[in-house]
Amino acid sequence: MRKNLSWRKGLALGAVATLVVGVTAACGSSGGSDTAQKSLGKNDTLTITTFGDFGYGDLIKKWNADPDRPFKVHETQIAEWDTWKQTLTSDLQAGTGLTDIVAIEGDAMPQFLADGASDQFVDLSDSSLDNRWVDYKAKAGQTTDGKQIGYPTDAGPEAVCYRADLFKKAGLPTDRAQVAKLFDTWDDYFKTGQEFVKKVPGTKWYDSSGSIAQAMLNQAKYPFQTKDQKVDVDNPDLKQVYDTVAKYADTLSTKAVQWSDDWQANFTDNGFATMPCPGWMFANIKSSAPKVKGWDIADAFPGGGGNWGGSFLAVPTQSKHQDEAKQFANWLTDQAQEVGAFEKAGAYPANIAAEEQLSKSAKPDPYFNNAPTAQILANRAKAVEPDLPFKGDKYSDILGLFQTAIQRVDEGKSPESSWKTFVQAVSQLS
Amino acid sequence: MTRTSRTGPGFLVYGLLAAFFVGSAFPLYWSFVIGSVTRQRAGENPPPLTPGGHFFENAARVFDRIDFWSALANSVIVSGVSAFSVVLFSTLAGYSFAKLRFRGANAAMVFVILTMAVPTQLALIPLLKEFSNLGLTGTHAAVILPWLVTAFGVFFMRQYLVDAIPDELIDAARVDGCSMIRTFWTVAVPAARPAMAILGLFTFMQVWTDFMWPLLVLQGSDVQTLQTALDQLKIAPGQGLSDMALLQAGTILATVPLLLLFIATGRQLVAGIMQGAVKG
Amino acid sequence: MSDHAPATLGGTGRTSTSRSGQAPPAGVPSPDHRDMRRTPARLTLRQRLSRWDMKVSPYLYVLPFFLVFLVIGLYPMVYTGYLSFFSWPRFGAGHGPWVGWENYSHVLKDPVFHKAFWNTIGIFLLSSVPQVIVATVVAALLDTNLRGRTWWRMSVLLPFVVAPAAAALIFGALFADKSGLVNDVLSGIGLPTVQWHANRPASWLAIATMVNWRWTGYNALIILAAMQAIPRDLYEAASIDGASRVKQFLFVTLPSIRPTMIFVIITSTIGGLQIFTEPRLFDTNLQHQGGSSYEYQTLTMYVFNTANSSTNPYPRAAAAAWILFLIIVAFALVNFAITRAVQKRSHA
Repeated sequence: MRKNLSWRKGLALGAVATLVVGVTAACGSSGGSDTAQKSLGKNDTLTITTFGDFGYGDLIKKWNADPDRPFKVHETQIAEWDTWKQTLTSDLQAGTGLTDIVAIEGDAMPQFLADGASDQFVDLSDSSLDNRWVDYKAKAGQTTDGKQIGYPTDAGPEAVCYRADLFKKAGLPTDRAQVAKLFDTWDDYFKTGQEFVKKVPGTKWYDSSGSIAQAMLNQAKYPFQTKDQKVDVDNPDLKQVYDTVAKYADTLSTKAVQWSDDWQANFTDNGFATMPCPGWMFANIKSSAPKVKGWDIADAFPGGGGNWGGSFLAVPTQSKHQDEAKQFANWLTDQAQEVGAFEKAGAYPANIAAEEQLSKSAKPDPYFNNAPTAQILANRAKAVEPDLPFKGDKYSDILGLFQTAIQRVDEGKSPESSWKTFVQAVSQLS
Repeated sequence: MTRTSRTGPGFLVYGLLAAFFVGSAFPLYWSFVIGSVTRQRAGENPPPLTPGGHFFENAARVFDRIDFWSALANSVIVSGVSAFSVVLFSTLAGYSFAKLRFRGANAAMVFVILTMAVPTQLALIPLLKEFSNLGLTGTHAAVILPWLVTAFGVFFMRQYLVDAIPDELIDAARVDGCSMIRTFWTVAVPAARPAMAILGLFTFMQVWTDFMWPLLVLQGSDVQTLQTALDQLKIAPGQGLSDMALLQAGTILATVPLLLLFIATGRQLVAGIMQGAVKG
Repeated sequence: MSDHAPATLGGTGRTSTSRSGQAPPAGVPSPDHRDMRRTPARLTLRQRLSRWDMKVSPYLYVLPFFLVFLVIGLYPMVYTGYLSFFSWPRFGAGHGPWVGWENYSHVLKDPVFHKAFWNTIGIFLLSSVPQVIVATVVAALLDTNLRGRTWWRMSVLLPFVVAPAAAALIFGALFADKSGLVNDVLSGIGLPTVQWHANRPASWLAIATMVNWRWTGYNALIILAAMQAIPRDLYEAASIDGASRVKQFLFVTLPSIRPTMIFVIITSTIGGLQIFTEPRLFDTNLQHQGGSSYEYQTLTMYVFNTANSSTNPYPRAAAAAWILFLIIVAFALVNFAITRAVQKRSHA
């Protein structure tokens, strides 16, 4: 009886499996579905997905309210980039399901520019848009062969936010122009930090080892990959960043992971005195520490400039309305709209004209001791070197592994063993 | 269902259960506490531990931010249909496996159990492709279809029914000339009621709290479930930190229907159907 | 008898003895007691219909499951199996050339995979075992003459209505390495604090706590339902024989709920080995690696992360998923064998 059963089971399974494989083989291999373009009428809808708050709500409302609009727009908002990235990845691999425009987070952009991935997006190149955005941001949305995959929505030029009240306690200058002089080079920055922690025990110098490591390595030319995309992490530039951050982990860093509960708690219990500060971080500080008085912003960044984040709008080839999508992405990243998004959501523009407009009308921010935030950010954006660092196709992956290596050191592992684990993990990437 | 032979439980039993209750209920309670204070208070340290008086304000802000009622209706539809379908088909299949003899039953049952071992994460891409080809994305059906009947349900029903229905009852019904389906209806279903109630409840709750799948198949459409709608509450206008008071008020609002369902299902669960069936 | 899955899955003597006398070998024209009363030569239409009904109905009842499974389960499974032998450019919409077993060997050689395997086993043991035991005890407590029974019973399900993300928020606050409540308490009573996210066994314990919190009541209710179906006269007989409460539990309750216990053990084995939500929500590592040294990365997290990696993401994840499937099946079979052996011994 047992034989009989397993024989039957085998046969049935085999039959079903053959059937399914047949179906699969028939529809499996080619993902290039037909994307016959359909033009949109006035009452047809173009779709867009963003994550977090891009500040597009009112802009789209205005667009839809215009009787002369060429089409309507519907925005899907997903709260977190992680969730959205997962959906985006699934939809790209399934070859279906995406909206006409998709938003992509800045640090993740390099992987979407790689061969294979970039074929999934429409080339948005348009010579009339030359010099619309800051150079480094426009380039960050391009493939090596010059296809423009994404239009930059915002930029993350970094300044240094600091606690003037704690600086005073340590006997350091508190005025933002004088503080800026302390942050000329990384050596200056760390030296001041060592003085600081001696005077104010219990408070660390910076918010996390990770944010400092990222800022430093972004000033290197080829931190992870050579020009021809070859992975090379055993290079002196990267090793130097690693060694420096590891060296100061105990004395200067809170050793908390960014965004963790412990990191968050440090905002309210004087956990640290300085942090790298892209424009979007301002809102974060305000809502993390609404009652803390003493935050200020220095118009400086150690070792030159730095950029952290800032997103892009891209049009997947899945879209059946590519022309309209391009048109609308163009509109959203134009001067007026980037200014509008900044006012709504604090996303500092990548659009040069928008930056200039904001810095002319610079409003002082009372929370940050009346710092002229927009003007500081405009200066910081100019300091960013457009070609640093080279971001290869595995940039985001290796950056993640590198940050994790730093985290291990923060947690007490020896820097040598952590580095070994890092090199091993990088070798698994290919 | 009176159990005269067993006296009421003592202090110890109540004590243990009360401890278990506190542990079970605390997060929900805390969620309510955060949902009932102001945004500022919710972010302060130490966190509030007793409810404030701002729940209705927060709730009003939830209704303002998202289309709560339409999301609620969608969630009720997908969870309700799924629960009904899972209960119906699982009971049928479980009954068949437990009480009816047919060739290949053993192998089929083992197969059902093994299907539970299939990791679900990877199914997303082929399923998405399949559903998109069938034109199901953006519809209720896309959310419901994977939940029509589950291996968990079939296995559960089989294990429950194998002892819960004495074979004599089935034989008696068959001798009376009942058709198979009538036997199922008059003998199996009454005996299975407590298990059906549990299975229905579990399924309803699972579909109700599911997030990733509805997000994937409903993306870009106007159909939203409560979970995908609640996700929007995490977005802090102007970036910064999420508004925890708003978020938790939304969570509580989305939980109330489940609590109501608890109360409705609870009675089903407690009613001891079996005793009556055996004697009658 | 032992050849029947029903027996292995725990049909107790109470029903199976009566069944083995009556059950016809499936499908074979049966010497059913009704047939014996009639002349076998001529069957009325009604009889033929009835016989057909008997033959077909069992299949008909299980058919919906298999149809749904074909579309929802089998198709994706076979599809991923097929793709696990190909390359696939990242974010591409279709696979590249055939690579043979390369994806499998990549996964099997990956030290992170090995670590994930042991993490999964560790978390599984710390969660499933205590969970089943506590659930059984709680079910037994609930199966008494409580005042306000319905309320007590429903209350154990409360953790299940809390959205996992909301629960994660609370457990995050409890187990934060520096600012967490548990560490506050530990240092308050003079004990050393614990690095919940960097210490491997401690992270397993924290995650197991989250898992147990969520699933114990759920399993308790399943077990309770089975306890409810035990005929009360069994207890009466036992108590007349002078058996204590504990003895009644061991010798009446436990044997009677064996099929459901097997169900709970098997489902929590399978579920335990697929553990994903809790460790992922517990994770503070920004790359979701399950701790900076992969302290609590589980196998399903490995599959998930592989699906987002840079080389052949989907096929490698598919290979990992198939390996995971085989691991789970192996575990389920071992479980099965043990349960069966225990059962045989208790029958003897």
